[in-house]
Amino acid sequence: MLGDILTPDLFASALRMATPLALAAIGGTLCERSGVVNIALEGIMLIGAFAAAAAGLATGSGWLGLLAAIAAGVAVSAIHAFSSINLKSDQVVSGTAINILALGVTGFLMELLYGHPGTTDPVPQMLRPVFHFPNGGEGVLGTVWTWINSIVFSHTPIVYLAIAVAVIAQWAMYRTRWGLRLRALGEHPRAADTVGINVSRGRWIAVMMSGALGGMAGANLVLEQVGSFTENMTNGRGFIALAANIFGRWTPVGSYLASLLFGFADALQIKLQLFRAEIDIPPQFFLMLPYVLTVVVLAGVIGRAVSPAAVGVPYEKG
Amino acid sequence: MSVLELREITKVFPGVVANDHVSLSLEEGEIIALLGENGAGKTTLMNVVYGLLSCDGGELLVDGRPVKIKSPRHAIDLGIGMVHQHFMLVQPLTVTENIVLGHEPARFGVIDFATARKKVLEISARYGLKVDPDSRIMDLSVGMQQRVEILKALYQGARILILDEPTAVLTPQEVRELFAVVRSLVNEGLSVVFITHKLEEVMAVADRILVMRDGRLVGETRPSDTDTVGLARMMVGRDVVLRVEKAPRACGDTVLEVDGLHVKDDRGLEAVRGVALSVRGGEIVAIAGVDGNGQREIVESIVGLRKPTSGTIRLKGEDITHASARSSIEAGVSHIPEDRHRRGLILEFTIAENLMLGDHRLAPYSTRGLMRPTAVTAMAKRRIVDYDVRTPSERVLASALSGGNQQKVVVAREIGRDPELLVAAQPTRGLDVGAIEFVHRQILKERDSGKAVLLVSLELEEISALADRILVIYEGRIVKEFAAGEADDETLGFYMTGGGGSKLAPETGATGARGEGER
Repeated sequence: MLGDILTPDLFASALRMATPLALAAIGGTLCERSGVVNIALEGIMLIGAFAAAAAGLATGSGWLGLLAAIAAGVAVSAIHAFSSINLKSDQVVSGTAINILALGVTGFLMELLYGHPGTTDPVPQMLRPVFHFPNGGEGVLGTVWTWINSIVFSHTPIVYLAIAVAVIAQWAMYRTRWGLRLRALGEHPRAADTVGINVSRGRWIAVMMSGALGGMAGANLVLEQVGSFTENMTNGRGFIALAANIFGRWTPVGSYLASLLFGFADALQIKLQLFRAEIDIPPQFFLMLPYVLTVVVLAGVIGRAVSPAAVGVPYEKG
Repeated sequence: MSVLELREITKVFPGVVANDHVSLSLEEGEIIALLGENGAGKTTLMNVVYGLLSCDGGELLVDGRPVKIKSPRHAIDLGIGMVHQHFMLVQPLTVTENIVLGHEPARFGVIDFATARKKVLEISARYGLKVDPDSRIMDLSVGMQQRVEILKALYQGARILILDEPTAVLTPQEVRELFAVVRSLVNEGLSVVFITHKLEEVMAVADRILVMRDGRLVGETRPSDTDTVGLARMMVGRDVVLRVEKAPRACGDTVLEVDGLHVKDDRGLEAVRGVALSVRGGEIVAIAGVDGNGQREIVESIVGLRKPTSGTIRLKGEDITHASARSSIEAGVSHIPEDRHRRGLILEFTIAENLMLGDHRLAPYSTRGLMRPTAVTAMAKRRIVDYDVRTPSERVLASALSGGNQQKVVVAREIGRDPELLVAAQPTRGLDVGAIEFVHRQILKERDSGKAVLLVSLELEEISALADRILVIYEGRIVKEFAAGEADDETLGFYMTGGGGSKLAPETGATGARGEGER
């Protein structure tokens, strides 16, 4: 039976499941490195998902859906940036407000635009896998190729985009001027200020980048996984993403790898549900897996992982 | 022509005039000292020059041209660099990253780390400021971190360097090194503004001394034309007794008795290695030593903040070796901690609340678990008067007070409790002469009223001013004991650095700095 569970598509599915988490987690990384806590990622992702579905339905184009999701994510994150950076309000409160707002706004717009709650119609065009190579072949080589093909070449655009984002963000954070300044902002904003770095602007940019990535994560859910929008479809992924960010020690690649772990747990629970008949355990038990893993990982890591020193603290000049 | 000139600079904060028409000038290659008590407005003035604060009146000239400095960036572009009292360094970043931050050599946004590193090494060699460009700031000693701050200003092209209380955190050796660095900078054509409240430093390093009091410039002089007494008078506005008069001691019974004490430090290493000491009523026993030789651990064991591994501590015959901080207070031990921000005060609490801490569960401050605000307020008002805490009201947050007044709050609470034993750890650290005089008087008053005082200090001057007996500590052992006046500073320094023939003698000198570095 183990052979039935550990198939190529389990790992391919893990990569798919990891993608929205990773995008949001990297968003969280950039945001927190600049000194702003972003627990609004859940709401940003949800609004991004809705925007992807609405634009997809209205225009018939998946790509326009993705653009709309990114734009919506940036717009929502701007609320968070304004209240955290300009109004210096409590960032956790602001984030929570946005999460609640996102639930309400998406539910309201469902009624307004489509006349019913619950789930939208399927979008006419989803984002299709990038490559189309046939599986199989003779013997061992054929098996190896099937594994490689499923795990590496079976994916939709945003899955590859997420990997690219992780690598590029990691490089940029440690090799570019922007990255050095970002890291300084979250550790000692006054030090950055005294050498002439604009703290507010740097934080605004980081928060909006996290909004774009959160929106992209929502687009992935609708345009590459489900095909339609359902109320509260993010279902806590934004919070798991924050856990992945911490587990990844506030680095983009670390966030991606941590998301991969959570994604694998998710893929595994889906797979195990198929074996309900053989394993006599209620399916709800498997549904818990990713969340239990989150708790366990955080319990083990928190306290030892060091967050950016100035995260969550509004910057007061002078 | 002056490189920097201030004309009638005025800065007003709500309710306070921090700078009141201050005018001064700085010539090329000159070191001026800005001397004044905490809260005199020295730092505010320089923050205006550095563009961190905007001024409400007056004019600034750089190289004879009037300028309006709007931001630190602008100040840097004009050649003004500032080393702040609290370092502006990003702890997890490397030395190189910190130095180039904000002015990174880069191509298309990608930092050229090789060039950055080379430039850092060049400047470091040119001014004799040795530093490892690849270390992380958090692994460096405080003296090293300060060096990085100076390098940062030089990298940014500073011709005018403002040093804000640069010696506050340094060991005596590091202070000497800093003075040498400052002189070499001036030889290279830089001009330096040196902010301090320490009189000897001003005499040692300044070409010209400007004294500030209550936001105004009250005097200008040269080291050759004055002495520390004259400077202190100018700074405080009255005659200051730099050395408080001491009555002959009248010793009572033994109050504190420590025997065979062994204590481990935070890293689990043995910091105190078999210390025995006793303090009698009516005497001040001082522990002299270089920072990091076990003083902190001895103090923390006595006041119940750290568990000794072995040995006994007795207070009036009662065993308090394993007492908690609470039962140690109840037994009659008061503690003026070395770091008033970390342990002496809760900065977010009001003065009244801070004055009550430790006694908050006792009548009259609380009865049956309920606070009695009127009793607290009455006590606070009384102590504010008795201990001369300068504050508009007892409801002001402790964080709003100047360092000297904060320390007065700590002293008021600890002595106001009427303890059997007062443990004072660096009780005047970071204070100006006026506040030092006050704290010294209070400690002597305790002694004269027959209480026992254990004093830990890094300042030999303080020790010789107060102590009846001096114990010299080195590497966790008491290596020598002197009666008051028996040993001069040289002799004490000799034993403090392991000169007393201790078996552990070879690694002397750098102990303090190395301890910081390993943290």
